Amino acid sequence: MTSPRTVVLDNEAVQALHSSDHPKHPRVVAHVQVVAHRKRKAIPLDILVPAAVRVEAGWDRRAPAAALINHLRITDVALDAVRANVAAELVSRRGVSVADAHIGATVGTVAGRGPVTLITSDREDMAAVTDPAPVTIVAI
Amino acid sequence: MIRRISSLLDADDTRTVGTSMRIPESLRDAAALAVEELGVARSATALTADALRSRLEAVVLQAALDSHYRDNPRARPTLGDLAVAAAELDGHPLAGRPDLLRRAAEAIVETHPDADADDAVLWAEAQAAATR
Repeated sequence: MTSPRTVVLDNEAVQALHSSDHPKHPRVVAHVQVVAHRKRKAIPLDILVPAAVRVEAGWDRRAPAAALINHLRITDVALDAVRANVAAELVSRRGVSVADAHIGATVGTVAGRGPVTLITSDREDMAAVTDPAPVTIVAI
Repeated sequence: MIRRISSLLDADDTRTVGTSMRIPESLRDAAALAVEELGVARSATALTADALRSRLEAVVLQAALDSHYRDNPRARPTLGDLAVAAAELDGHPLAGRPDLLRRAAEAIVETHPDADADDAVLWAEAQAAATR
């Protein structure tokens, strides 16, 4: 059976999906549309957003403005005790933001399940926080 | 409607219900065999529920996007855009050649109008291999 691919969103990817006025909106929508096509073909694929990224991007699922992004089957990843430890270590070692550290911790926990793709506007920082996990980084 | 289906799919609901849903006997037997011999799920019921959930998630996701495209026609990606996105998601070597992918997308729909993004990437890959 095919290993499920996991797509992780960073702050700007979330903002781009959240607002149709965002200059990168069409680009990130295209990625989600590919996910939708593949799901229709029963290819396993999940889109995740680390909770700290959602906070940084201002995505409140209760807000009417979040209607579109709320329906795109994007799953929250909690900053639980295990990921908090990994994220704290990344903040200390790399000096990155809490949201970026949570991305690194999230990728670390899903990388063993199958291929991971990270959609981000900051390739360098994401490469640093996800190292050594094998990740396909899509720079938007 | 999308919101209602979406919230039902998101519900943390461990309650189960018996249904009177009728499925073909051969399909039931195939599911039982797949569970017993291939270990694809812990039970035929779990396999059925997982498949139904996956299908509904795909339906809701596409319905949300279609609704968005109706309100924002400029947000609808072209096949070329989708081919580039598909290659990027997979880390495909042609992700760095968007022009080739876009040309392939334009070419493939001439003979295969229902081609999708993955078809276009494959078409581009074949063209790239043929010209090497």
